[in-house]
Amino acid sequence: MIRIPSRLNIRLHSSDIALVGMMTATMEVGKFALSYLPNIEPVTLFIILYTLTFGPVVFYAIAIFILLEGLLYGFGLWWFFYLYIWPLLALLTLLFRKQKSVWFWTVFSAMFGLTFGAMSSLITLVLSGPAAAFAYFISGIPFDLLHGGGNFVLMLAMYKPLRKVLTNINHHLRDKRQEERR
Amino acid sequence: MEKTNKKKALWGILAVAVVAVAMIAAYICFKPGTSAGAKEVTIQVVDNNGETTSYDVKTDAEYLKQAMDEAEGLTYSGDESEYGMMVTTVNGVQAVYDTDGAYWAFYVNDDYCNYGIEEQPVNDQDTFKIEYTPAQ
Repeated sequence: MIRIPSRLNIRLHSSDIALVGMMTATMEVGKFALSYLPNIEPVTLFIILYTLTFGPVVFYAIAIFILLEGLLYGFGLWWFFYLYIWPLLALLTLLFRKQKSVWFWTVFSAMFGLTFGAMSSLITLVLSGPAAAFAYFISGIPFDLLHGGGNFVLMLAMYKPLRKVLTNINHHLRDKRQEERR
Repeated sequence: MEKTNKKKALWGILAVAVVAVAMIAAYICFKPGTSAGAKEVTIQVVDNNGETTSYDVKTDAEYLKQAMDEAEGLTYSGDESEYGMMVTTVNGVQAVYDTDGAYWAFYVNDDYCNYGIEEQPVNDQDTFKIEYTPAQ
């Protein structure tokens, strides 16, 4: 059963600032490091794992990541679909956060990659109409297939080791917060 | 339990495969069509002063980029993006949205081109217009 979190607690604790910095930096550097491979990116992997581990605080990291992307590469049309695509990914992850299976998240991230072009064509649909949006979607299909395949492999390979490391970090942060409170 | 998980994983992979195959089929059916053979096309460049330069090209090009390469006197350059080449300079005039507040707009027979120059089909008697367009 899917349950929407009853209350999205996205109040920022002081120790979360470093966490947000770490999340943003890994997303940006990871994306840059794989940029020589066409449409293979670790951002989907990171956003899913950060959301599962740290919860709604990930929205701060996504906001900074999107802003940085615009500042680094220019605020083109693609930037506007980043505004809704990455937060949507975090939101969907929150909805399915009870799922623990590596295969569930592998299939989920592959589907996200495959439908990335369709989701991003919504901007073209609004600006230029259905014919242009359809043409945009069709011409992007080879890139979507690469995107879906890349997401599938990355999630399958990295879910377990990264989840373990991130859970340890999360426990460490929680202990620190409790110490601060005492 | 283990069996159920494996079954779910298999269904998931199958769903991904079905979506991927459907997308490949859609691409094959709807990708921009071209026709091979000798074609006569016109490429017009409208620069930042509104002056038009025309190039008549006889070509076997299937896509606009090749026709532009074959147009004598026409020079252009751009940046490679994940969606193909983004043309930034034509005949020495630069139009970069962020720095110049303008871009090169591409038209085919007066309709805005829906594809990048590497994917824009070329048909006989097509007229392409490459126009310096200030941002609104």
